[in-house]
Amino acid sequence: MPTSDRPLETLAPPAASGTNGVVVLQSRIENRKPRIPEPLLLFDRVSKWYGPVIGVNQVTLELRSGITGLVGANGAGKSTLLRLATGQLRPDLGTARVAGRDAWSAAAKRLVGYCPEVDSFYEDLSGRQFVRAMARLCGYPAAEARGRTEHALEMVGMAERADRRLRGYSKGMRQRIKLAQALVHDPPLLVLDEPLSGVDPLGRRDMVALFRRLAEQGKCLLVSSHELEELEKLTDHVAVMVRGRIAAVGTLARIRELLDGQPLSIRIDTDQPRRLAGDLIGLAEVVGVEIGSGDRLLVRARNPAQFFRSFMQLVLEEDFDIRRLETLDDSAHAVLGYLLGGRRADDTVTR
Amino acid sequence: MNPSATAVPGEFSVTLSPCQPVTVSRTRAWCYLVWLSFRRQARVRQMVAIALGLMAIAVVLTAVNTAAGRWGMQHRRWPPGQGPTYEEWLTYAGRYEAREELALVLGAGSASPSGGLVPDPVVAAWRAVLARPDVLVFSQVLFSIYVSFLLPLWCLSFATEALGGEREAGSMVWLLTRPLPRPLIYLGKFLALLPWSLGLNLGGFALVCLAAGRPGVVALRLYWPAVFWATLAFSALFYLIGSAVRWPAVVAVVYSFFLETILGNMPGYLKRVSIGFYTRCMMFDVAAGYGVRPEKPSVYLPVDGTTALLVLVGVTVALLAIGMIHFSRREYVSAA
Repeated sequence: MPTSDRPLETLAPPAASGTNGVVVLQSRIENRKPRIPEPLLLFDRVSKWYGPVIGVNQVTLELRSGITGLVGANGAGKSTLLRLATGQLRPDLGTARVAGRDAWSAAAKRLVGYCPEVDSFYEDLSGRQFVRAMARLCGYPAAEARGRTEHALEMVGMAERADRRLRGYSKGMRQRIKLAQALVHDPPLLVLDEPLSGVDPLGRRDMVALFRRLAEQGKCLLVSSHELEELEKLTDHVAVMVRGRIAAVGTLARIRELLDGQPLSIRIDTDQPRRLAGDLIGLAEVVGVEIGSGDRLLVRARNPAQFFRSFMQLVLEEDFDIRRLETLDDSAHAVLGYLLGGRRADDTVTR
Repeated sequence: MNPSATAVPGEFSVTLSPCQPVTVSRTRAWCYLVWLSFRRQARVRQMVAIALGLMAIAVVLTAVNTAAGRWGMQHRRWPPGQGPTYEEWLTYAGRYEAREELALVLGAGSASPSGGLVPDPVVAAWRAVLARPDVLVFSQVLFSIYVSFLLPLWCLSFATEALGGEREAGSMVWLLTRPLPRPLIYLGKFLALLPWSLGLNLGGFALVCLAAGRPGVVALRLYWPAVFWATLAFSALFYLIGSAVRWPAVVAVVYSFFLETILGNMPGYLKRVSIGFYTRCMMFDVAAGYGVRPEKPSVYLPVDGTTALLVLVGVTVALLAIGMIHFSRREYVSAA
């Protein structure tokens, strides 16, 4: 599970994870797989500059198993962090290590399967040839590489369609091939940069199921995505990046609790909006009420649990007809919005 | 660097099933990289197409000159382009009735020891020009057109694309995320481009020489080692440029046309920074018996063939080492 020592970050409860999938590094005995004492992926106060611009700023994060989502706005530093993990970049400060090895080293790259966001292949090869070439470049003999290629293609659902040239593939097919080449050498750590981008809904469902299976097998996945709804379906453990820093680590619910100082936005549709607004203003948890168009109210309230208790009591006592009750921001989008946009309670207009 | 020496037996054993241990091999991976890169270099790109086109033009022009017997001096005229041929001059010099005509051309001539109107040294010079070996004439064409122009251009056709093409296409990520040390990746791709670069240069050189007939065959036998080593040196240089800068083909062309051409013809020691200088020195050394030498050795200051060879070998090794170090530290990030 991800861990970090930033102020807002929290340790999520460790998910059940065995030692399955931990790669054998030293032992020749096939069935004994010693537990790796070090985190599988460790960023220790990592900073990275692009000239005068800081891409990653003092990030400390460690992953051991399970699926961790990495979310953040464009330019937050997600791709930079993933490139540091896969040895494409070197930190200017701090260290990035994979199972105790410098992420820049060839030995560390053997433990990492990387699915990049960049959409550039050896276009003259077929999907099958490309994945097989990646397997051969990992040092497998030809026969072994063929077997692994077929297995990886089956896992991503491309076994029947991998003989066409890559230049003729759709975006979704290219994403699957990228994923296949990341899986072909059976690495314990998978770093996936926008793996669901361009994949159709059915394909996304299949890939999410695949990611879950891989995590159940003991692999550690670090998944970056802008598809926050899909990321929520994939995992509830996220690391939120804001302007190069890890702003929060943990479950969305836990992060939301930590942000309890930020009011929750609730939409209420009622036939008596003004009367309800007047009553709601009197509740201690309510920070502000905005009367929208028609019969809509937008309420901003702290301490959601207490607010809803007070609200239900108010509704019953005053006999309000509530047609709709919806929390607008208890999602990754909303959490990001708070973290990235920094809305203030006094921004709400109260009538 | 010996790739196999870096593989630690057992360190990378990966268990697929209780009964099928498989050992991955860094040596095997590196050899496959060389093979894969060799195959992928076969895709004809724009610079290679240009190089092949220039080769075809060079071969055709050489063949045309060969058919017209242009490698000897019989057709050369003095004054160039308008006067009689050298053969005609000699004929005139021997004919009494042509002396008055000659006097008009040469001005009033003093009596020569032989009593003829044309001084003997002049006649001797005309005879020496006519006796010039065809290898010498062909070599002068090779130096001016092939060494200065075609050789570097043919080298950069493949060399700049080996790594530069990968970077421009954004496919470098597939190499950089493989478990291969970066210096080995650099070395492997260089070895993969060499057959193509040497094939294009030596093959093109051979075609041009064979199209020249007898003098070309002699030139091919004499000069192919110089072409071989110059190809290695230029390939190492342009390969490094391809890994280090954007638009490597442009930078390499600028280097070839301006630095090699201008520096290579500078008086004094400045020309010694150009690879073409040492290539010519090797050629001068082996073809001295055919009268092939710099026009003004005191200005050109050539080095002997052995020194030139050592410099070319040293430059190749040094550029390769610099490239391996640079590549091992450089960060390549594709625009996402």
